[in-house]
Amino acid sequence: MNISMRWLSEYVELSGVSATEVARILTDRGLEIESTRSLSKGFEKVITVKILERNKHPGADKLSLCKVSTGSGEPLQIVCGAQNMKAGDIVALAQIGAVIPNGLKIQESKIRGEVSFGMLCSEEELMMADEAEGILILPPDTKLGQPLADVLGRNDTILELKITPNRGDCLSMIGVAREVASALGKKVLKPQVTELDFKGAKISTKLDAGDQSLQFFGCEIEGVKVGPSPDWLKQKLESMGSRSINNVVDCTNYLMFETGQPVHAYDASKLKGTELSIRLGRSGEKLPLLDNTEVVLRDSDLVIADAERSVALAGAMGGGNSEVTDSTTKLYLECAEFHAVTVRKSAHGHDKKTDAATRFEKGIDSANLGYAISRLKDLIIKAAGGKVTGSTKTIHPRHPRLTSKKQIVFSPEYIREFLGVTTSDAEIRKTLTSLEIEVDTNKPLWVAVPPSYRNDLSIKEDLAEEIARTIGFDQIPATIPPLSSVPSGVEPKLIERAKDILVNQGLNETLTYAFNSRSWLTQFGLDSGIKIQNPLSEEQEVMVPSLIPGLMKHHIENENKTFGSDPLAVRLFEIRPVFTQKPGAEIRAVGETDTGTTETWKMAAVISGPRFASSMKVHQERVDFSDLKSVVESWFTALGTKGIRLRSWDSGRNLTHYSKIFHPGQTAEVWAGKDCVGLFGRIHPALAVKLKLAKDDVWLTEIDWNAVEKLSRSTLSGATFAPWAEFPTMERDFALVVNADLESDRLTGIALKAGKPLAKVAKIFDVYKGKPIAEGKMSIAVRVIFADPTRSLAEAEVEKASQMIRDGWKKELGIELRS
Amino acid sequence: MSDLIGKLNSLEGEVLAQIAAAKSSDALEQIRVSVLGKKGSLSEVLRGLGSVDAAERPKIGAVSNQVKAKVEEALSRAKETLGSAEINAKIAKEKIDITLPARSLHLGSLHPVTQTVRKITHILGKIGFDLTTGPEIETDFMNFEAVNIPKDHPARDMQDTFFVGPGVVLRTQTSPVQMRAMREQKAPIRILCPGAVYRADNDATHSPMFHQIEGLWVDKGVRFSDLKGTLQFFAQELFGSDVKIRLRPSYFPFVEPGCEVDVSCFKCGGRDEKCSICKGTGWLEILGAGMVHPRLFEVAGYNPNEVSGFAFGLGIERIAMLLHHIPDLRLMFQGDVRFLKQFL
Repeated sequence: MNISMRWLSEYVELSGVSATEVARILTDRGLEIESTRSLSKGFEKVITVKILERNKHPGADKLSLCKVSTGSGEPLQIVCGAQNMKAGDIVALAQIGAVIPNGLKIQESKIRGEVSFGMLCSEEELMMADEAEGILILPPDTKLGQPLADVLGRNDTILELKITPNRGDCLSMIGVAREVASALGKKVLKPQVTELDFKGAKISTKLDAGDQSLQFFGCEIEGVKVGPSPDWLKQKLESMGSRSINNVVDCTNYLMFETGQPVHAYDASKLKGTELSIRLGRSGEKLPLLDNTEVVLRDSDLVIADAERSVALAGAMGGGNSEVTDSTTKLYLECAEFHAVTVRKSAHGHDKKTDAATRFEKGIDSANLGYAISRLKDLIIKAAGGKVTGSTKTIHPRHPRLTSKKQIVFSPEYIREFLGVTTSDAEIRKTLTSLEIEVDTNKPLWVAVPPSYRNDLSIKEDLAEEIARTIGFDQIPATIPPLSSVPSGVEPKLIERAKDILVNQGLNETLTYAFNSRSWLTQFGLDSGIKIQNPLSEEQEVMVPSLIPGLMKHHIENENKTFGSDPLAVRLFEIRPVFTQKPGAEIRAVGETDTGTTETWKMAAVISGPRFASSMKVHQERVDFSDLKSVVESWFTALGTKGIRLRSWDSGRNLTHYSKIFHPGQTAEVWAGKDCVGLFGRIHPALAVKLKLAKDDVWLTEIDWNAVEKLSRSTLSGATFAPWAEFPTMERDFALVVNADLESDRLTGIALKAGKPLAKVAKIFDVYKGKPIAEGKMSIAVRVIFADPTRSLAEAEVEKASQMIRDGWKKELGIELRS
Repeated sequence: MSDLIGKLNSLEGEVLAQIAAAKSSDALEQIRVSVLGKKGSLSEVLRGLGSVDAAERPKIGAVSNQVKAKVEEALSRAKETLGSAEINAKIAKEKIDITLPARSLHLGSLHPVTQTVRKITHILGKIGFDLTTGPEIETDFMNFEAVNIPKDHPARDMQDTFFVGPGVVLRTQTSPVQMRAMREQKAPIRILCPGAVYRADNDATHSPMFHQIEGLWVDKGVRFSDLKGTLQFFAQELFGSDVKIRLRPSYFPFVEPGCEVDVSCFKCGGRDEKCSICKGTGWLEILGAGMVHPRLFEVAGYNPNEVSGFAFGLGIERIAMLLHHIPDLRLMFQGDVRFLKQFL
């Protein structure tokens, strides 16, 4: 909503009050100022002059040499490139030193050898029009040497307000004036009108849509002359950013901007029959509108209809079939009130979110229709002539706001306690009264009745806000609330620790969007996903069922942004929810909280590139499975996660939805209890090709964080000390030749079992494939550590245990020791 | 007798000359063994002692001891000199170029959004706030109606909503988490709800997904002035003890009264017309706040006549951009390692 300072001053006395001061007042009272713009900016050194002579420029065919007079002193020579002027025209001269609205600095200059003492301006250069042919020619009676801003009525400042949805009453000059007047302790100057008598109308009005049609006021005028608007009208509309159409339509817009009440003027000769009604649309009925579109009505739309057809989409836009044109002489003025939600649905449904609809849906002043239509009639007669031949009004007998006045019961003590202020009873009463809120203070509990235009005031908290914003939020003290219970304090969340551990492993946390494109997810074999019904683009259409596609997108973007020959290390992780449909459920709201969807938090990471951050060639070995395994295992160790087991991935059986993402031969399953909760391993070679990766040694993991969290140590409890053996341990190393596809943990597992109770640790410390070991075999070295926490061990018992281990391997795997 | 003494004296002279000429610790060791060892030349000379008159023997013994002492002293001195020369030579040989690049490990980092959430929760944790979270896909009821934004209310236009099913939306704000918390626990309640929120808006200053953190304090007798004091504490802890806050009346359906909150520019304090942070206005808009609307208490099952409370919400990316001088919101979601690695 634009507020012209000049126009505003017609409703509240503003002498000596600057635009800056008004802007501050409005800000302090909750009307946000988006911008402040002086209309005369750039017009400071632009004046009116008369062209005395126009001659050809001796050095250029397309230029003219003009002599202009400012009304006094010597004529000035100006070089001009326009062709539309002649001697005698009054034009706008930007003098030396001017900086005109388009940013051009005017300096004394020589153009093709001729001196020019300024520039004659076009409307385009003055930013008054998007384009212009030639320079601005002013009316012949314009005085010379005047500032152009004065002549054009541009000595004005426009405040652009952002009105919050609760303050529909401030979508009008009078509404804003009320706020300013209240702050300045002044009165609002509402224009005087000659009230209509609502008699003698030829056309009757009817409310034919139940509680959705609330009031219908009409006025008939004959003998108007439709034409261009007078300057006073045109200038005001332009200051609102509204285009002038003709004197009648402009008056309806003027009235709406002035009072906040949307109104409409019909060409009365085009209306059929003797009754206009507010009724519901007939499904399928077509209604041509003023913007040259046609809407197909629904039975939920409200319309104004004559005897035969709809003539307006109620509250939003008039019909093309009853439009006021240059030949119109008889007018019918409509001033009505409709149910706000119905107007909103109609305007949104047909994409006609007009200024009128905005005002209706935010609530108009129900008690002001009589004033508004009377004022409109005065304006039209002033701008277009004519005289009233009749008027009428119909009001819903059970109008919710007109039949009973809203009462708010409160106590001044409540206001003080709620705000934490010491404002006196008298001040509270005075403040409310200044806002035209009636207050009955005769009983201990006060009763407030808000004015009819304040639809936002209904509870005592609203009154508290009125007091607070009137005394000023800066006058409210700042207190720290007392703690009525022992604070539990922010418990360090395990998820934060989970992030820290990954950071310690040299990974960078990233944030991916929770949605991605269908086609991108399909590349990863993720075909199901919750679809957004109104996505901004295909790129953001599906809620992700896995974090990996997003991480890979970041991986690839990093690859694409890399220049030079240094190998790129990408080590990204994220812990975020993924989204899936509940099995067997539909995605729809059931009850208050069920959405039919499940959110599972996942930890996902991608690592690739050199193992070290060094740029030295010797250190540029690339990360492999072992690095990834270290990241995952260390993560579990540091989190104190209990009961995690790893297995080689059976891609046909467990977590099969990852089958296009992970390499079936280089991926591990992570088990937590009875559930397979995640994978870590290499990217599937086919996916690497599809994604056009520079190298296919990209290592991925995705693990169900909710499952891991349950098995991890609480951040508050910390680790428990475990004593180490006080007696010396003994070690035995075993070298075995086994089938190359044997998983090494079979060997260590058997060793620990067979070597019980002395064998405490069994670990692989070397693996060798190649000559002289036979094809299909490998040499593997196992170290077993024996100990007893209560004593030193004897050679013989260790030897005995070792033999049992050898026997175990032979029995279970059929393998003999190498030597 | 004089014969032996003469031999000892000449041995002494020879050995001292050898020592003086020795070039390494190893050569000195050889000299020591060849002279002082069991089969060394000194023992060789003293083997002739048997044929010497008994009365002469002590005299010869004394000379022999003197020779031995002199040799030992010369050896030890030479050893010291040569030894330090050798260490010096070793040191010189082992000199490395410490300016060569390190075999450095990768350094991990937390996203600025995470860091900012931690900063905020740390500050507000000091005055008793605890953390809680909620789902990102919400019912229309929880996201809107329960927080006093009825269907077909103009306030719905304040947020462009993504829909995923009938009555199911991507939450546009973290406010539904407040409502969930109030339904689960009784007052007093002091919680912070951080998390991702979604709005159908995408340009240089809006991301369709971004993060908010919302605070809620409900108890008996909570006042508007308490909201102001809490926000002032918060702003001064976050931006510096000399910043001021400014509350401007505004409207959010879930609070009454509602306000937008500005903090005085922590960079220029309003003194620089060309300030890159506040653009010369002196103020930075950082959050929205207000007193919890009684309608929310009714939905939550609280008695609005017994409790009151305040709530505030802020955009985390906005705060992170201010704190870390990040010029473009979009950098937050691009995963560019050149960006991420700056926030160690």
